[in-house]
Amino acid sequence: MSEEQKENMKHLDEMTLLLYIERQLDRARGLEVSAHTQECDTCRTLLRALERESRLLTRAMLEEDEPLPSRLAQFQERARKSMQWIWGLVFGLAATGVYALYTQYVQPWQQQLENAGFGGSNLLGLLIFQGTMWKGWQSMMTLLEVLAMVTLAGLGAMFFRRRIRRGSALALVFAGLCTVLAMPTGAWATERRTGQNPTVAKGETIKGDIYLSGERVRVEGTVEGDVFAAGKDIDIDGHVKGDVISAGRYLQIRGTVDGNVRSAGNTAVITGTVSRNIMWFGDAVTVDAAGKVGGGITMFGDTLAIDGRIGRDILFYGGEINLNGDCGGGVREKGNMLIIGSGARVDGPIHYEGNKPADVAAGAKLASPVEFKQMEKKEPYREGRYYVWQVIWGAAYILFGLVLFALMPKFSQEVVKSAEQYGASAGLGILVGFGVPIAACIACVTVVGLFVGLATLSLWYGALYYGAVIIGAVIGQWLMGRTSELWPLIGRMTVGTVILRLCTIIPHVGPWVKYGAAFWGIGAISLVVYRRLQPMIAPNMPSAPYTPPMPPNTTVGGPLPA
Amino acid sequence: METPRPGRMNAPGIKEPTEAIARARAGDAEAWGELYREHAPAIFRFCRRALPTREDAEDATMEIFMKLKDKLVQYDATRSFSAWLYKVAANHCWDMLRRRKIRQDKETGDVENVPLEHPDPSQLDQLIEQRTSEEVRKALDKLGGRARMALVMRYYSDMSYDEIADALGVRRAFVGVVLLRARHELRQALAGNAVLAAGGAS
Repeated sequence: MSEEQKENMKHLDEMTLLLYIERQLDRARGLEVSAHTQECDTCRTLLRALERESRLLTRAMLEEDEPLPSRLAQFQERARKSMQWIWGLVFGLAATGVYALYTQYVQPWQQQLENAGFGGSNLLGLLIFQGTMWKGWQSMMTLLEVLAMVTLAGLGAMFFRRRIRRGSALALVFAGLCTVLAMPTGAWATERRTGQNPTVAKGETIKGDIYLSGERVRVEGTVEGDVFAAGKDIDIDGHVKGDVISAGRYLQIRGTVDGNVRSAGNTAVITGTVSRNIMWFGDAVTVDAAGKVGGGITMFGDTLAIDGRIGRDILFYGGEINLNGDCGGGVREKGNMLIIGSGARVDGPIHYEGNKPADVAAGAKLASPVEFKQMEKKEPYREGRYYVWQVIWGAAYILFGLVLFALMPKFSQEVVKSAEQYGASAGLGILVGFGVPIAACIACVTVVGLFVGLATLSLWYGALYYGAVIIGAVIGQWLMGRTSELWPLIGRMTVGTVILRLCTIIPHVGPWVKYGAAFWGIGAISLVVYRRLQPMIAPNMPSAPYTPPMPPNTTVGGPLPA
Repeated sequence: METPRPGRMNAPGIKEPTEAIARARAGDAEAWGELYREHAPAIFRFCRRALPTREDAEDATMEIFMKLKDKLVQYDATRSFSAWLYKVAANHCWDMLRRRKIRQDKETGDVENVPLEHPDPSQLDQLIEQRTSEEVRKALDKLGGRARMALVMRYYSDMSYDEIADALGVRRAFVGVVLLRARHELRQALAGNAVLAAGGAS
């Protein structure tokens, strides 16, 4: 072996070989390395090992070993933050506008009307602002506070979503919200009594709220807070300084309630005094001759019999009113019958929409004659107005769909896709469609659940419409073919929704189509929500294709052309 | 000097979405979504390889895309979008690692000394032969931040030595050293002993 050959056989260092395969050597050096590795086995083996190592590294890195996390798949929505802020701003402004409108115009106007002797007997007002439905409205004082609370919760959700991952964040925010809501009553000591006959005995004073549940619930003493009662028979013989919220077959109030009575049940008999309003969902309410209600009565049920005194308005949906006492406000009834006895006195206007005219006895003292409106019986299809309304409704649906699709395009597309899993979505739709309102109603009667129940109900109600829009999109896709783009999908949704609305006009079949579509859509929504709540199931995102490694004997490196 | 390797021009399998970029720049949310859908999986995998935990990778991916939104105007349309994207990603990940000082305990700090060892070629060959990609991924997790970053930039996103030097803040001449050191660390992690990493024969 010559000196030169020996020199050649002096091994190359690893760095040089690496730079060689990475094509980082200049041409001359590259040629030297190339020549050397032709001769030297050791260096050739190392070179090959390094090449292999490179390929192994590339392969290991490029291989798709885990799918894109669902958090990232959904991130696109958040990448549109700026858009959402605009929506948020619009929503905020709109809400403030509504609030301003309410305080500037509606409220003073209502006040004036009330001063003039007309009670503000619209349902919304009663439900929300008079606190008949939920005491929380009163403690929240202004709508703005509610708005602020919601915004705060939203911000909280956003903040925690980044810090604490997945469901725990939501739970935390929710718990926080519940705490905030519970705060006004938090200062009270709350008692709980259960058993066969839970009783607040005569002479006993409960400082705060009390929860009573049992077969026969009796309040004979004094309760300074609210009474939440659930039982077969509920008797209030004592003094309740707060509200009575109850669910039970039979409610009898012989004592005094300073607040409202909000109940669901079979029969209520008032022989005592309720200083504020009564809201009743159930069969019958009787206000005895001795009974007094300081506020109004809102009732959804069968029979309302009044022999005592009602301070303000009566709002009634259902069967019949039998009025033989005093009513300080007006009466608004939509039902079957209105009987006004000779002992009756009504200070406000009486609006009655029913099947037959009111039966008014001669001695009744009415501020104004009964305004009777025959309940519409004729086919609505014959009226032009009906079609105008159908068009308005159709447009409203499309607008609603447009807003939702634009706000949450990915979610909507997913929902449309899952609506095409007919069995699963329809099945789940029936389950959720019926189950949620039942669960929400149960939540409403329980203590903490009122807010949750109401929120769920309104969400469910919104979902019914959203569901219909989704099915519209599915129908549109049947007709015009599938699409993965947003705007074409919105176009299909529009076409499908119009068709769906047309189908709902068909007599007899229409309602079935309407509710069927809504429930089916709700099922699809639930399906997607369910999937999203499972972090492990990531959607099939398009991903970078795997580039196969170079074949084992590919020549890598070598001198570069000059 | 730099010539992209055949079969992997830029980032793994990404075509240039020129039109979408132009629209996204103009504020088209749909185009932005398109870009995201197209590139997020690759960027996530980049981060997943470069950063210690999955959560870090998720966070980093989001942050990179948020950054990207502001930076999109700076992008020079005559150049490769994916290469640019990886540059942004690499800078972000390296910043993140540096901020957290994750690298401090594993880094030797010395990038300018070329390891002159010559590992036993057949032993190295054997080691590489026996290891699966999954084992390599696991071993990658054990490396220091800089070593990992360097390997990911070079072998995942096929970045040039200049780009790597730029991202890591080292001189271009030392990128090879960083890579070689990283390979040694990796071998050590793969073999579970120091023989092959430090090299036996010379």
